[in-house]
Amino acid sequence: MKSLFLRSGAVLACALTLASCGGSNGNLLLGGAVVGVNRDGLVLQNNGGPDLAVVAPYTNFSFPQLIGNDADYNVTIKSSPSNAVCVASNNKGKSSNFDVTNVLIACTINTYDLGGSVSGLTSNGLVLINGADRQTIPAGATTFTMTVDTGNKDSNGKPILTGKVGDGAPYGVTVLTQPANQTCTVGNGTGTMGPAPVTNVQITCI
Amino acid sequence: MTLSTYLRPAAILALALSLAACGGKASFPITGTVSGLTYGGLVITTNGMDLAIPANATSFSFPNSLSYGDVYDITVKTPAAHEDCTTVDPLTGRNTGADTAGRFTSIAVTLTCVVQQHSIGGAVSGLTTDGLVLTNGSAGGTVPIAAAATSYAFPALVPYNVSYGVTVYTQPKDAVCTVANSSGVMGDANITNIDVSCVSTK
Repeated sequence: MKSLFLRSGAVLACALTLASCGGSNGNLLLGGAVVGVNRDGLVLQNNGGPDLAVVAPYTNFSFPQLIGNDADYNVTIKSSPSNAVCVASNNKGKSSNFDVTNVLIACTINTYDLGGSVSGLTSNGLVLINGADRQTIPAGATTFTMTVDTGNKDSNGKPILTGKVGDGAPYGVTVLTQPANQTCTVGNGTGTMGPAPVTNVQITCI
Repeated sequence: MTLSTYLRPAAILALALSLAACGGKASFPITGTVSGLTYGGLVITTNGMDLAIPANATSFSFPNSLSYGDVYDITVKTPAAHEDCTTVDPLTGRNTGADTAGRFTSIAVTLTCVVQQHSIGGAVSGLTTDGLVLTNGSAGGTVPIAAAATSYAFPALVPYNVSYGVTVYTQPKDAVCTVANSSGVMGDANITNIDVSCVSTK
């Protein structure tokens, strides 16, 4: 009689323990790393299940629902942040006896031209910078962008450009070198890149 | 004239042959790979030999080889301009430039060079409210500056020969700040003259 009570108790305790570990689904974590994200909006799912919103500091994720041994998993991107395109890798497989931590969500933030108008520039030598990005502006220019074609091509044959600015990143245009016998000032030189090119930086030379 | 008289020299010969076959080389050239060497002036030294390595080199070889058992310890005699070079593998932490010849089948040094970086910053005057944020372009990072600060430096360092341009990203509450000496190209020392002056608008 005593053992009947004990046994029922043991079964109950066992069931409670399992429930606290995420029910009958298992006891393995499913997660991985996130790169290239700087804002909310990345939402992941496993096997089309509940949404997991990736939150700051946007470097990793782990589903609250645990998975079992020998369980098929398929992590998919339900939505990307508004300023980026994300791709999942190592995202499909079957679990073994260990946590799955090698799913990778790699996002590329959209970049846009930073530029504007130039007035009064009659001599050569003007060099504008946005921090580490440099651009030489020739005499007579009336518009400019900080985008520079490096002359190199990427593995897909597309030209490698520098000087574009990621959506959401700060920018600050200043004069590194003044043109010969002229002085240029920068208006609207600082701001935050949005989801479109910046065209309102004003270079005024006298 | 026993059997062992013939056997012993034969055994010694066999041993010598097998050692040679195993890579028992007589001499070990000190060679290695170079990565990241953009500037000239580097001279490394070991075992009484100096070796100048030119800019953009990707490999090196000392003029004389070592014998089995010789100890070598490569050190930088003259640093490259604007760069720090080391034989310590950045991934494993192992010093590939010091060992005993013959412990491995060949000597393979990895010499890794990185361009020096320095800080940018300056003095702050007249700042009595919070909220000021400076930025160094898009990739150089931002720095918040608290009320009553008298100096600042960006947490992100700037490599030699890379430009910097500091602007006010966010003005502080009830004040307008301007930046002096905002732009330049990094040299061989910290920049400390990018001064910020603030005037209250209240």
